[in-house]
Amino acid sequence: MSNHVLTIQTKNQPVVLERLLQVTRYRGFEVAGMEMKPMADFSGLLVTLSIVSDKPISLLTNQLNKLYDIEYLDCVESELTQAKAGSMRA
Amino acid sequence: MKGAELVIKLLEQKGVEHIFGYPGGAIMPIYDALYQSKVKHYLCRHEQGGAFSAIGYARSSGKVGVCMATSGPGATNLITSLADALLDSVPLVAITGQVSQAVMGTDAFQEVDVLGLSLAVTKHSFMVTDVTELEHTLNEAFTLAMSGRPGPVLVDIPKDVQLAEVQFKPRLVEEAATTQQQLLPAAALDQARLLIQNAKRPIAYIGGGVHMADAVTQLQDFLAQSPMPSVTTLKAMGTVPPSNAYYLGMLGMHGTQAANHAVQQCDLLICLGARFDDRVTGKLAAFAPDAKVIHIDIDPAELHKLRRAECAMIGDLRELLPAMSVPTHCEDWLKHCLAMKQQHGWRYDHPGERIFAPLMLKQLSERLPDNAVVCCDVGQHQMWVAQHMSFSHPRNHLSSGGLGTMGFGLPAAIGAQLARPKDTVVTVSGDGSFMMNVQELGTIKRFRLPVKIVIVDNQRLGMVKQWQELFFNERYSETDLSDNPDFVSLAAAFAIPGHSISRKDEVLPALEAMFTWPGPYLLHVRIDETDNVWPLVPPGAANQDMLTEKAQ
Repeated sequence: MSNHVLTIQTKNQPVVLERLLQVTRYRGFEVAGMEMKPMADFSGLLVTLSIVSDKPISLLTNQLNKLYDIEYLDCVESELTQAKAGSMRA
Repeated sequence: MKGAELVIKLLEQKGVEHIFGYPGGAIMPIYDALYQSKVKHYLCRHEQGGAFSAIGYARSSGKVGVCMATSGPGATNLITSLADALLDSVPLVAITGQVSQAVMGTDAFQEVDVLGLSLAVTKHSFMVTDVTELEHTLNEAFTLAMSGRPGPVLVDIPKDVQLAEVQFKPRLVEEAATTQQQLLPAAALDQARLLIQNAKRPIAYIGGGVHMADAVTQLQDFLAQSPMPSVTTLKAMGTVPPSNAYYLGMLGMHGTQAANHAVQQCDLLICLGARFDDRVTGKLAAFAPDAKVIHIDIDPAELHKLRRAECAMIGDLRELLPAMSVPTHCEDWLKHCLAMKQQHGWRYDHPGERIFAPLMLKQLSERLPDNAVVCCDVGQHQMWVAQHMSFSHPRNHLSSGGLGTMGFGLPAAIGAQLARPKDTVVTVSGDGSFMMNVQELGTIKRFRLPVKIVIVDNQRLGMVKQWQELFFNERYSETDLSDNPDFVSLAAAFAIPGHSISRKDEVLPALEAMFTWPGPYLLHVRIDETDNVWPLVPPGAANQDMLTEKAQ
């Protein structure tokens, strides 16, 4: 099991959060946390998704990157993950 | 002009000649704008039938299919067809009317959240909330439907947007889409050529992505310059001509024995525009177990999704295939595959008088002109068509592959006949599938379309029954269709002549009668309910563990 944090910049479309969550659920990933705020000029949204999964995260990021409304996506393995993984190993 | 008129003007500007649909309250302004337009609308008898006709039109022509429906039930009736187009990567634009924005969210009459419903079944979907966005949105919809991996795009247009005034200046010439020249992946190509040169047992596993990329010629050139055996998915049938000696047919659950054994034995699997679908691989962990994999696709999400590739490339097969051509060194392997193909060839010496569907379909295939289009439904007959009919191009074989949608064949044939009016179009259906969109006989009658309909009737939901027989202890739960209607009389009610046959010696004269009749025709073919499709890879088994008729 690993945790990742996805930082996503999207177009300012009302349905975009549903799209992100629908793809994430359908592809078998769990959302552990989510933050969203509009960009300073309201041209888009900044979304941070914390994802938990035992699958390679690329299986999700490759699908999210195909979404028309996604303009930028960055993925890092989270420190929380490391801590959780450590405690699980312990 | 009004937004509704802009929709039709833009379709005209984009060169859309044929659209399929069904009117209703929330899309009436667009249907009003359509009245006496240059765009020819084909009124189908159900929105699902309309959308499948648009899919048949798109798949047989390579153009974008366009369909329309009203809000609420009109839009929900499109959902299955949109899912079908998504799973088979078909370029489709669906335009739906929506209730006015003033009442949206109030559970108004015929209101449903179409945008929400569309998320899982489209490549993308738009709702137009301002008439000034309409032109750009529709242009984007067409571009998205065709670009990259093609797919369905839905545009939901509230009634107030359809009725709002907007300025529209039609462009005299449609701007050509600009494509950025992509650099070829030199290192990956070097690796691919090395893998091919060093392989002792290479094989090409060809999917629908090859013809979607318009790379059929490049694929055939590649196979000529880098001789190796090839197998195709259901959707790619016709990509390799039957005259290619080393073409082994379809692989997978009902694939040929030669194709499945060769893939299981290969040491290099070159996957071209295919996606390791479970109906192809059987038990994934045991699929082509000794093979290194080269995987090329336009969709990055398909690479490494189910099978890790030693060499993966994203890109245009028209450019990558010529760059990958290199001499092969696999003469013994070619001989071995040829021997397997001969050893496991189909047999048509079925005893008795009754009709043997594989032989009947082979005879049908031989009677068809080279450019004929065959549209299937889903079930046993679909697999028999794939096994026993030959196709000269993938656009001549339309079959619901990914979603496996019963009811696909008849409306898809309508779309294909309109896209290719000079070509013979045949739908081969089962008695179960045919009844799922039987109302489209009304569309055939209305537009006098010369579609030939062959119903392979075993009075059962045959494929489900076959699984019940093999894997559910012969408990035939809800698969008996022995109370089917009289199909010839049913066709006659739509002024379509027909004939029913049940003996082998009736097949050739019946085919002759059907093809010499100038209009639509229904041929009802009775077969025995005990006939099954062989070979079959049982669920969860590896592809070399096929069940055959002899083993039963």
